Formats: sequence, C-alpha cells, structure tokens
Amino acid sequence: MYSQYFGNYLLNNGLIKPEQLTDALEYQRSVHLKLGVIAVNAGYMTPSQVEEIHNMQKRIDKRFGELAIEKGYINEKQLEEMLATQKQGHLMLGQALIDRGHLTIEQLQQALDNYKKEYGMSTRQFNVVRKDDSQEIEQIFQNYGEALLGKMYSDYVTLLMKNLIRFVDDSPTVEINQLKSDITAQWYTSQEIFGKISLHTAIACDREVFVKFAARFAQEEITEPDELAQASVGEFLNLHNGIFLVNMSNNGVELEMHPQQVAENYTLANPGKAYVITCSMTWGRFDVILV
Amino acid sequence: MSKDRPTILICDDSLLVRKKMKDCLNEYGDFNIIEASSGQTSVELFRQNEPDLVFLDIVMPDKNGIEALQEMREIKKDVKIIMLSSSGTKSHLKAAMEAGASDFIQKPWEKSQIEHILKNVF
Repeated sequence: MYSQYFGNYLLNNGLIKPEQLTDALEYQRSVHLKLGVIAVNAGYMTPSQVEEIHNMQKRIDKRFGELAIEKGYINEKQLEEMLATQKQGHLMLGQALIDRGHLTIEQLQQALDNYKKEYGMSTRQFNVVRKDDSQEIEQIFQNYGEALLGKMYSDYVTLLMKNLIRFVDDSPTVEINQLKSDITAQWYTSQEIFGKISLHTAIACDREVFVKFAARFAQEEITEPDELAQASVGEFLNLHNGIFLVNMSNNGVELEMHPQQVAENYTLANPGKAYVITCSMTWGRFDVILV
Repeated sequence: MSKDRPTILICDDSLLVRKKMKDCLNEYGDFNIIEASSGQTSVELFRQNEPDLVFLDIVMPDKNGIEALQEMREIKKDVKIIMLSSSGTKSHLKAAMEAGASDFIQKPWEKSQIEHILKNVF
C-alpha cells in the first residue's frame, strides 16, 4: 500500500461514520477553509486560542490573522504560510467535518496528531504527502526492474493521484502491482499514447463504479452506463493523459495520443509487462492499467 | 435555423465536453449551437453553416483538430477558431498557431475563459 489518506484514516479508526464522510465530502466542494484549522494543523495555535480569536471576532471587526498576530500567537511569516496552504485537501475535509458538526476542532487536532504519529511524518512532510511522493513511487517501479522507465511511470501515477483528488475524490489510496495475467472488466476505458514512448492506458472497473466515477467527474446525475457516462470516464482519462503529455513536453519529450475508447465486457489478454494501479476511493475501487 | 443569432460550432468527440460547453454558452447568450464529434464532421459543418466562432478539440477520430483547422482556414480565414484541448504540448501549440488558431485553451477550461472569448468576439 502506498499511502493512506486522511478521510480513510478517520473512517478506519472509527472517528467518523461512512455517512458523515460522504456528507463532508459533498459539502467540501463549497467549504471555506478557516485559518483556525490551518493554525491548529501547523501547531501554531491551540484549539482554545482559536476559540478565543473566534470569540473576539464577534466583538471586533478584524480578520482572524490580524487578531492572532496582535495576541502574539503567530507572526506575519506564519500567517503568509497559512494563507498559502488554504487549499489542502485533508484540511478542507477537516473543515467540512467541523462545519457539518461531525467533529469538534479538538477532535480534529487529536486525529491529525495521531495520523501524523502513525505515519511517522513531520508536519511539513504531512503537508506535501499528496503532491510529491514521486520518489517513493519511483522506487516501487525501480524495484520492479524499471531502470529506464521508472521515472515516467512514477510521474504518471503521481499525476494520476493529483487528478483523482482534483476531480473525483479527496482520499484516493493507491496500490501498485505488476499485472501477471489477463484482465477482464465490465467497463474498460482506454487510450493509447504514442511517439518516442508507447503506453496503453486504461481504467477498468465494474458497472457500479463506472457509473459513480462518471457522475462524480461530470458532476451530473448519471445512473446508467449510458453515452454520457462513457463520455465522462473517457474524458477523465483523456484529460489526465493530456496533462501527462504536457508534463512530458515540458521535459522535452513530445508524445501524441489517440482518442479514448470505451468497451463493455472487455478482456486485455497477454498484456506482457504491465502494471495495475488499484485505486481505492471512498465510493469504490477501480484499476488503472499501464502497458 | 435562425441566422440572426450568432452561430457557434463545438467540435469535440466527448459528449460530456459538448454538453458542458453548451450549458456554459447558454448562460452567456442566445446562440445557434452546432456540434461535431469528429474532425471530418467538424470541417463539413464548418463549410455548411459558416459559424461565427469555433471551439475545436485536437485529439478526435477521423481527422485531428490541427488538420481540421487547416481545412477550415482554407474555407474561411477570418473566423475565430479556438483550440480547446487537454494536450497543450509544445508541438500541439506550435502546430495550432502555425495552422491559424486564434487562441488555445487547455482543458479543463474555466467559465471565465469562455466568457472572455465571447466578449471579444460578439
């Protein structure tokens, strides 16, 4: 297992119920991350100091940051740093859980502290775990003997995680394995990348996950694996691969891709050297295939 | 189809992209919206309908967006043709600009980008 994310951690440790996580994830789209949560996460302020500032704000028309500086709890540099981290996924989830009354700020602090302890990460490492674990992923591919292409595969998977977080789920967990046999899927969405490097990419899943994936990415009510559902999952793959091509282009490697294709009840036979990236989301599991 | 309303041609093989673009355009005005899902159809509809504005994907079946753009430019030179693609690579950008693209938007696009284009064109 590559990593465990905060939503899964809260769920697995019984700190919240599945319906509370679902509720918070839905609400999270519109959440405004408050500086108090960031300050507690960064260890700059205690929950009671945050409460104190919130109470002051009821009487004084000043911003949270201003008051916290005046009280000497944080300095200007720390405020700037806090403002820069305002879009972090796990904190957005934390804020949503607080706003929806599923956790108090004290419970969130406790959960964040335990989470960091369990995974042995400093605050700084914790803050970047979603964005930049490419070295760890690259090591996995190196261990599979990918001396030359390990970096490319690792870039692909790192970007995949970012795009899953950006477009379909806050808490993906990813497991990387070599594909050793044929793979059959109810719904198989694929796209070929070609040029100096050839790469067959695909999303393989069952009907239920396919429909959920489509609905989440499209942000439309999709209940059947119809044309719109197929277009949605296909467009996610196309978008992700397009951004991958842009990154490769920035590194001086120009690649092209064919239009994406969607097939029902498809078997990929004798794939040769291939990888299966199993992506576990809060709402289901699917495989990303790289050949 | 009424010609007093501006005509916009959306060329993308994804039904989802076409739907999202239509929803967005309808928020900003009253347009004749025509859709094409392949490069070949894009050129044919361009020839038949003489659109005032085109949104053109690059990776499409039959004929890619760059080839379609070249043919559209042979038919009419002064139409705004906006490339709209997930793969804004250096080679795609260069090819699109050389073929006469008016602009290049990397997917996923923001509504404000579409609004900005509409304000410039109409």
